[in-house]
Amino acid sequence: MFDSIKQAVIEMDDEKTKESVSIALKEKVDPVEILEKGLIAGMQEVADLFARKEYYVPEVLLCSEAFYAGFDKIKQLIKGSSRKPGAKIVFGVVEGDIHDIGKNIVKVMLEAAGYEVIDLGRDVPVLEFVKAVEREKPDILAISSLMTTTMTHMGEIILELEKRNMRNAVKVIIGGAPVNEEFAASVKADGYSPDGPSAVKLIEKIVSG
Amino acid sequence: MVCADHGAYLLNLTLKEVAQDGEKLAQVIQYCHELYRYDMVLVFSDPYVEAQAMGCPVELEPYPTLLGPAARHSYDRTPEIIHAAKILKMKLDVPVFVSVKGPFTLASFLAGIENYLKIILKRENEASRFMETAMQYQLQYLERLLSLGVNIMIGDPLASSSVISPQMFLKYAFKALQTLVDKTKTHGALVAIHICGDVRPISEYLDKLGADILSIEDIELRTETLKMGGVGTSTILNGDPNRIKSEVDTALENKNVILSTTCDVPPHTPPENIKTMLRIASEYGNIER
Ligand code: B12
Repeated sequence: MFDSIKQAVIEMDDEKTKESVSIALKEKVDPVEILEKGLIAGMQEVADLFARKEYYVPEVLLCSEAFYAGFDKIKQLIKGSSRKPGAKIVFGVVEGDIHDIGKNIVKVMLEAAGYEVIDLGRDVPVLEFVKAVEREKPDILAISSLMTTTMTHMGEIILELEKRNMRNAVKVIIGGAPVNEEFAASVKADGYSPDGPSAVKLIEKIVSG
Repeated sequence: MVCADHGAYLLNLTLKEVAQDGEKLAQVIQYCHELYRYDMVLVFSDPYVEAQAMGCPVELEPYPTLLGPAARHSYDRTPEIIHAAKILKMKLDVPVFVSVKGPFTLASFLAGIENYLKIILKRENEASRFMETAMQYQLQYLERLLSLGVNIMIGDPLASSSVISPQMFLKYAFKALQTLVDKTKTHGALVAIHICGDVRPISEYLDKLGADILSIEDIELRTETLKMGGVGTSTILNGDPNRIKSEVDTALENKNVILSTTCDVPPHTPPENIKTMLRIASEYGNIER
């Protein structure tokens, strides 16, 4: 049962995912279990396949469509349930940078892991990040940059948060091809990870303190 | 050697001015060449010239950005590129390369990037149609360029294994690249392929294309084709002489390498850094500068 949902997600088949979820619902399976043991389990496998370079960007994008197709069917049912919403994450790509494929991949994996992601898009000015933190009060601010020329904005965002006494209210994680552990430490970010699957683990660690 | 943005910065021109005016584009490229004296120049302003000519909305300020898939209106900057190429061909005594987009990347621009990445797996006929449209355009653009007697650099960033699988590369990008490579060679011009990011899974296919040069990030990758690259864009921007030296050394330990920065020189790079790279390289004797 859960396996067929999981497989449908992995096989990038949104029709089959919807169908399998419907069947499960008809058989009175708990929607939270459908989500966790079916859909999310499927996306976890997808993340593994991506990490192992068996899946690439197109495959992950299609799997995530299948995931959301299934998720749409149970979203309403889950709202009133016991499932605790995961941490809230504000996510964007820094100003001057239009590379958003990586951010979108990480976003998909975070959402599939149960986190709420507010997507600011790409080419986002420093102050927009700060305003979004003010407005959304997220647990985590995630920043992406793919260029050495734009990654310095990450430090500026963190300084701006400090200046406004907001730095302690949010954990900041950063990523993107030119970013590394060393750079993350130098701009006083709370975390860095090299890819989507490890970003999920990083956030788990941060959230659980 | 990919220097237009950097040259614009040095000459106090905006990227927009350079991207829409062939004369200014030629001016910044010539300026960089005279400043640094490297052995070939590339006419390249931004990746969206062909896509825009085919109807994609593109904003040139503050820097060139693709706004969406092809719609109705088109704005054709190819005459400016051709103009720049002509000027440089006349004025400089080094090979002039002109950048054209690989058909896979162009097709992605036309269809909308993420949309295209999905339809290559799900709706193959539609994906192939976009490839054909891109291909038709590139064949005639290539024809126009080759008649000027310039060389060609095909840039295909979205065909990188950072983005698509080697299977999809083979299915969509490979044949199109092969056609463009063959056509360029029949005209007796040189052809380079530029793909950033990870190309390890497709290195065999890249060799098979039989291009004259592969411009890739991983300079230690074993290929039969002559490689170009070596010094990373962040290395050149930061300018730490030790890091530049170690990257130059690594690159030039390999025999079949043309030393270059791996991709565009970041605009604000201090000219000193580039001179440092060239000086270190010159210590190797009569190696390409
Ligand atoms: C595809 C691509 C493009 C596409 C982008 C399409 C899009 N909508 O995103 C196009 C063709 C449009 C493009 C344009 C340009 N590009 Co480009 N591009 C690439 C390429 C080949 C792959 C990037 C990619 O999508 N990878 C796939 C994704 C899945 O990986 P990823 O982005 O790294 O993300 C993963 C991790 O980094 C991490 N991650 C990412 N963000 C975050 C955030 C957090 C919080 C965490 C935890 C993790 C995380 O998880 C992701 C998933 O695993 C890279 C090469 C490279 N080495 O990366 C160059 C590259 C990034 N581009 C580069 C350049 C220079 C440009 C241009 C300026 C070229 C030009 N002259 O016009 C323009 C940029 C314009 C602008 N102002 O932004 C350079 C940047 C150099 C530099 N200065 O540092 C690169 C590095 C190429 C190179 N070798 O020099 N590019």
